[in-house]
Formats: sequence, structure tokens, C-alpha cells
Amino acid sequence: MSSKVVSTHDAVAALSFKTLAAGGMHMHNNPMAVVFEIVRQERRIERLITSPSAALAADVLIGAGLVDEVATSYIGFEHLGLAPCFRRAAEAGAVRVLNLDEASITHGLYAGASGLPFAVLPPALELSDVWRSNPTGYRKVIDPFTGVAVLATEAIRPDVAVIHAAEADERGTAWLAGASFTDRLMAMASKRVVVQAERVVSSQTMKEHPAGSTIPGFLVTAVVEAPGGCRPTASHGNYAYDEAALQEYLRMARTAEGFAEWMPRAVPAAR
Amino acid sequence: MNGWTTSELMAAEMSRHIADGEVAIMGAVSALPMAACRLAQATHAPASWFVAGGSGAVNPHATPLPQSSCDDRLLDAACVLPLPEVVMLEGRGDVFDVFFAGGLQIDAFGNTNLERIGRAEHPRLKGPGGVGLSFLPLAGRVVIYTMTHDPRTLVEQVDFVSGPAKSLTGRGPVLIVTPLCTMDFDPDTGRARLRTVHPGVTADQVRAATGFALAVQDSVPETEPPSRRDLEVLRRLA
Repeated sequence: MSSKVVSTHDAVAALSFKTLAAGGMHMHNNPMAVVFEIVRQERRIERLITSPSAALAADVLIGAGLVDEVATSYIGFEHLGLAPCFRRAAEAGAVRVLNLDEASITHGLYAGASGLPFAVLPPALELSDVWRSNPTGYRKVIDPFTGVAVLATEAIRPDVAVIHAAEADERGTAWLAGASFTDRLMAMASKRVVVQAERVVSSQTMKEHPAGSTIPGFLVTAVVEAPGGCRPTASHGNYAYDEAALQEYLRMARTAEGFAEWMPRAVPAAR
Repeated sequence: MNGWTTSELMAAEMSRHIADGEVAIMGAVSALPMAACRLAQATHAPASWFVAGGSGAVNPHATPLPQSSCDDRLLDAACVLPLPEVVMLEGRGDVFDVFFAGGLQIDAFGNTNLERIGRAEHPRLKGPGGVGLSFLPLAGRVVIYTMTHDPRTLVEQVDFVSGPAKSLTGRGPVLIVTPLCTMDFDPDTGRARLRTVHPGVTADQVRAATGFALAVQDSVPETEPPSRRDLEVLRRLA
């Protein structure tokens, strides 16, 4: 049986995509090893799709100038501060922001994962300005059961998802330690999935993990072994986020020059 | 000098708005509401519940509490919901009694904005985005908190509604807690009014720091300071 484990370089070089989804929530489980490789290979992303709360992965891709538009409900660093590159690019109009909220991302991914044509949303969401600010992402439809107009959002079906896992085996089955956030859903909604794992383990080990914490190998295109691959963000069950390193990023990335100085230090050589 | 910090005072005040048996939820930058919920559980509301933001952790035990709402230390909890299931339950409109919310801007009616300051094209400040604030109309009550009380934060009208003040199934915003005061809402006008001032703060100071016309009664009570027991609990969590 051929192994899905490849080098980070080869995994990214083999990808063909217009839309790319990156996993992780806040400063946790950001798939930085693959993200840095995407930057190294200067791969253009027509639409970046984030989890409900993105941080470093999205900010770095936007800072590198690779993202045309970003569909998101939050890019920031929680109590540490705003996302410097996202902020700069959005204020300058250098990246197009497709505003969503966490419900639209979650239900949109469900629709993508289940083959639903679109997702219908709870009534409250039309009271906010989110849907009005994003005409490509939302439509009003008539509920055929009640005749009432309700809000609908696009099914999200990314070309590629990049997900961090604690463990993966050679056939691509991956285990997400700790909270899996929307990462399993993102994997299920995407046409191709690249998993970066702290460790590549035997399929025997993988059998021990509980239902609901794994991604089946048949959904996974490639596995990259990337110990420490979320740094400076956290990897649940493995290491905490490096607050000093994130603070340094936030300080340096405040200007385009500072970001350009930070990048080569952070991006590892090809592996 | 008081024997407590402003954050401790705010957490103690927020904890009093969780009744026993109620279920609270919060989003990012939630160290303060998490502390408030834990304090409520340790004092007057032992049977209350809270869901710690994106972690999905229900009643996390972590001591001290981590700063990030998605920290894996929160997963030592009564149980953990996968995040998509938290989002599902937020849509029901009858699960969460109290929703703690913040904003770059908070307006006189209790609308909150995490999206932008300024116009849509080339905003003066691009915020992170509202995540789950659009669910506020489905919460029982909304408690708004901010660590910044100035005229740029507390404004007459938000530039973008991330978290609507209008409620579908509950009472909407009932309280704003800031480093200077607490506000509630006039049932007739829907506008925020001064409810209490923190010890050492005057109503005039609050008015000067607020960007909208704030209704102030003749005599405004002081915010109840945290008790010795409150402080014991809060300092273990910090």
C-alpha cells in the first residue's frame, strides 16, 4: 500500500486550488508548517476560507500578499491584539473581505460536507449588518413550509483544506487531540485535505482514538510530518502558544517592512 | 487605594447577573466573563453553567483560568461540546440565558461592533469581525463588558452592527459593565442609563467619558465592591 506521507514541499507543490481553507481556532492548531510552505512557494489563493476565529495562519497568508479575498468571521489574536496584516490589507483595500459569522461558516461547511445546495440560517442573523455587507455570501429565500423569508448562505466547499492533527498514519487517518473546533467539518467539506501531524504513527495506534476525534484517511490527500508545526501557535495536547513570539510578530508585522523582516526568520527551509 | 482591582470589581459585578441554574456563554477575550461565571458557581449560583467560547468546554475546572477562550487547559471540564454543536445550540434560542459580549464600539442602545470603525471602504480601523455576536438576539439576556470606557468606544450609534440590541427570544442587552460604572437600559426609550458608579468615580467623570447622552439620575448608587470571599475566589483564578 502506498503511503500518503510526503514532504511539506511536495505536498504543497502537488496542490491545485483556487479556494483554500485553513484550520485552527485563535492561537491554537494553526497549520503553520504548511502555511509557511505555501508562502515559500508563493501560491496564490483566490479565496481563503477561515474557521470562525482565525489568527496567525490567515494573517501570514494575507501579509504575504497571496490572498485575493478572505471569507471569515474573525481574524485576530484575542487578548494579544488585532491581526496586523489583515488590518492593514483590509483598510487599504488590498484584500477583499467577505464577511460571515460563525453560524454561516459552520452551517456553510455542513452544507458543503453533506451535499446540501446551501444552508439556511436561524432568524436572528438577519438583524446584524453581516449579511448586508456581503451580497455574494447571502440570499433571502422563502421557507416553503411557512412562506416566511429566511436568510441563506452559500455551501462552503473548499478546493483544499489544511488541517493540523496530533497524529496521522500512512493511510491518512488523523487524530485531533484536544478540541477539534471546526477542523473535522472543514476536512469533510473540502475536495482535498492536507494534514500536518505532530507525529506519524501506526494504524494500530489510530484505532484507539474515540469516535468524533478523527478524520478518516479516505478524505485525506497527503500527510506531512511536522513536529512543532503549529509554532508559535499552540498544538492542543502538545504545546502551548508562545506568547513572547506572538507578541514579537504583532510588533513587527505592524508595518509591511517589519513583516518582511519577520517572515524569513519564521519560514523554515524546504523539507 | 481600594483592596481590589477594577477587573476584580467588574468580574464580581458580572457574576451577580448569573442566577443559579442558568446557562451562560461567551466568545473571545473572555477572561473576565469566565472569572465571573466561576465566581458565581463558587458563591450564589453553584448550579449555573457556562460554555467557554470556542473551546466548547462546559464548566471548565482550570485554576488559574487561561486567557485564551480556546486553550486546551479548558478541556478539563464537566464535558466538552464540539464547536459546531455549540453553534447549533446558539441557534435554538432557548438554551443560553446570559451571553457575555464585547465590542470595539458599544452604542446607546446596546448594539455592539467588532467589524470596523469608519466606512466600509477604507475603514479607519478594521476590527477582527463579530464571530458569534449575530446570535445575541437569541440569548435570554446580554451582558456587555469593555475594558475601555471612552467616547470612541461608547458611541451614540455603532458604525456596523455585529451584535444587534434587538432581541427575538429574550430581553436583549440588560447591562453594560465598564471600568468606570455599570449601565442598564431605560425600558421606555431603550437607551443606556447610568446604574451605578464604581467607588471613587463620579457621574460627571462617566458622562465625560461617554460618547452618547447618558441619562443620569440625581443620586447614583455605588457599585457593590467585591467581598472578601469574592476576592479569594478571583485571586485563585487569576
